[in-house]
Amino acid sequence: MLYPSPTQRLGMEAKATSDAQDQSKSGLPSRTLWGDAWKRLRQNKLAIIAAIWIIFVALVAISADLWAPQILGSPTSADTTAMATSSLQPPSLEHPFGTDVTGRDILVRVIYGARISLTIGLLATAISTAIGLVMGALAAYYGGMFDTIIMRCADIFLAFPYVLFVLCLIAALGQSITNVFVAIGILGWPSIARVFRSAILSVKENDYVDAARSMGASDFRIVARHIFPNSVASIVVYATMNIGSAILSEAAISFLGMGVQPPNPSWGIMIQDGQAYLMTAPWLMIMPGLAILTTVLAFTLLGDGLRDALDVKMKDA
Amino acid sequence: MAKKKHTDYVDLKDQPIPEGQHLLEVDNLKMFFHTEDGVVKAVNGVSYTLDRGETLGVVGESGSGKSVTHMTIMGLIDMPPGKIEDGDIRYRGKSLLEMSEQEMQHVRGNDIAMIFQDPMTSLNPVYKVGRQVGEGLRLHRGYSKQEALERATELLRLVGIPSPEKRVNEYPHQFSGGMRQRVMIAMALACDPDILIADEPTTALDVTIQAQIIELMKEMQQKNGNAIIMITHDLGVVADMADKIMVMYAGRPVEFGTADEIFYESRHPYTWGLIRSIPEQAIDEKKPLTPIHGNPPSLVNLPKGCPFAPRCPYAVDICHEKEPEHITTETGHYSACHFADDPEFLKFAPDTSRSRGKIATGMPDTLEVTEDATKTTGSKKTGGEA
Repeated sequence: MLYPSPTQRLGMEAKATSDAQDQSKSGLPSRTLWGDAWKRLRQNKLAIIAAIWIIFVALVAISADLWAPQILGSPTSADTTAMATSSLQPPSLEHPFGTDVTGRDILVRVIYGARISLTIGLLATAISTAIGLVMGALAAYYGGMFDTIIMRCADIFLAFPYVLFVLCLIAALGQSITNVFVAIGILGWPSIARVFRSAILSVKENDYVDAARSMGASDFRIVARHIFPNSVASIVVYATMNIGSAILSEAAISFLGMGVQPPNPSWGIMIQDGQAYLMTAPWLMIMPGLAILTTVLAFTLLGDGLRDALDVKMKDA
Repeated sequence: MAKKKHTDYVDLKDQPIPEGQHLLEVDNLKMFFHTEDGVVKAVNGVSYTLDRGETLGVVGESGSGKSVTHMTIMGLIDMPPGKIEDGDIRYRGKSLLEMSEQEMQHVRGNDIAMIFQDPMTSLNPVYKVGRQVGEGLRLHRGYSKQEALERATELLRLVGIPSPEKRVNEYPHQFSGGMRQRVMIAMALACDPDILIADEPTTALDVTIQAQIIELMKEMQQKNGNAIIMITHDLGVVADMADKIMVMYAGRPVEFGTADEIFYESRHPYTWGLIRSIPEQAIDEKKPLTPIHGNPPSLVNLPKGCPFAPRCPYAVDICHEKEPEHITTETGHYSACHFADDPEFLKFAPDTSRSRGKIATGMPDTLEVTEDATKTTGSKKTGGEA
């Protein structure tokens, strides 16, 4: 046959394009693990919206001193002169979230509350993660008695009613915002330790750990270079979601009156303040409630997105 | 932690082998696991010697102790629960069992390297291939990152990976199974080791790739002169590769000899069973395979007498009572069977003389294949018409 038939030509074309695709696939500029993860994260719209929301809330909270009081009034001191007229106003242009019983603007209090909530979320998670990582790594790596003792301690921590435990701890440490961080942080370690322990245990069983040992890598090198990078994804994900639950814990503790003290605003305390007016002025509870909801949801969605992005096997999928 | 430089070590592989000794000598090695269920006698008296350029095939079922023996040689068994009960492993006259963990770390990968069964899981998914291939060089030779990467590229070319300059910068998941096993081989050979232990390197690969990988290992052996220990459950894989074959059962070697002796003059019913269960290639009609019935014994409660007796079709009373000694021929071919020197008994051996020279391989010689292929198609057609 002198000339290829149309089908053959089509076949050849198809082959050529698939070759080209292969080329472009393997010819991609080499990237790092994190570079790849970022690329995959960017494709996840929900996670990006969540991240943008978190950054927005954080920026607003950080810069609040510069503009919020000037426009919306002080978050703490009651506007006594105008109290009679501005008390319990529904949302309006002047007070987008309405005002509370002492005439304070709800929006500015939500903004200042975000400072407390985000700080608690981050710091408490940092404390939990630090303790949890060490405990989890020790339990998984040394095993035996060590493992038993650490994990039974974790079980005991988890078996206690959480809020009661935090309240007791705050009562013992003394009531202050710092101690709220510390209490929530300390009580958060068992779940992180569990997640990290199981991550290490499953990674440790991988053939490439044996392969690295058979190449002469030391224990330290194996943990640092082979086990940690492969289990860090689950920790990042878990810590991100943990920020959300720490924010919720703070809200619960403050709601119960053991956390942030009035007149300082925190989302939990604002809900507590508002509960008396649930029927007459629902925005008192709804606005800080929405703030908690959106922020915690954002952290959870971001955590989900990170989990997918950091999963190496999802690459090219 | 003070980092020890590679120059602080003496490369064992540069030292001469003491007079009258071998490259590797395994001497009555016994490695037991002490578990809650009892003592698992995973390796129970394994002995062999290996020289440079030689290939030893270690054959046996799952749980026969073939992998554990070699993990022990590499010092990769966790102790406890594992414990060396007896025996010694000498590499160039030096006992590996007496070495400190640090010394062993330098032996691993540098003097003795290992290839694992499953190439899909033996590479770390978060690192680029080049970095993993170069890891040994950085650990043992003190190469810089750049030097290691350059050498890794060369190694990848050597093991037949196309456009290695590009591939070094890719992640393992971008490689196919066969390509990954090539990467594993490159990784293991990076430091030019004396001994390459291959633990079922082809089991996870398809047949055509299997043949390529074995070819590659042979080729690399010719270049480097390293010894190979080929662990497999498939006699066919070692057939045309191994100089010597050790057949293991229940943690002990039951037969040991040259490849020819094992295939054509086998003296142990377990080896016969393994030979009979190799699928024959040239068959005109469908013939059922002959499996070895039953399962390997529990290594915790080994039966009294010969461990193979419960599954052995020829077992008689003495087999259930007395553990057989090794019966050795003048060529060093030994068999742990009471009847290994009984010519009447040896008549039960499978007739492999017919297939002499071609049993071996995944690939019989071409002419025969074509003939048989035509024959098979022919007979099928007839069947269809009828």
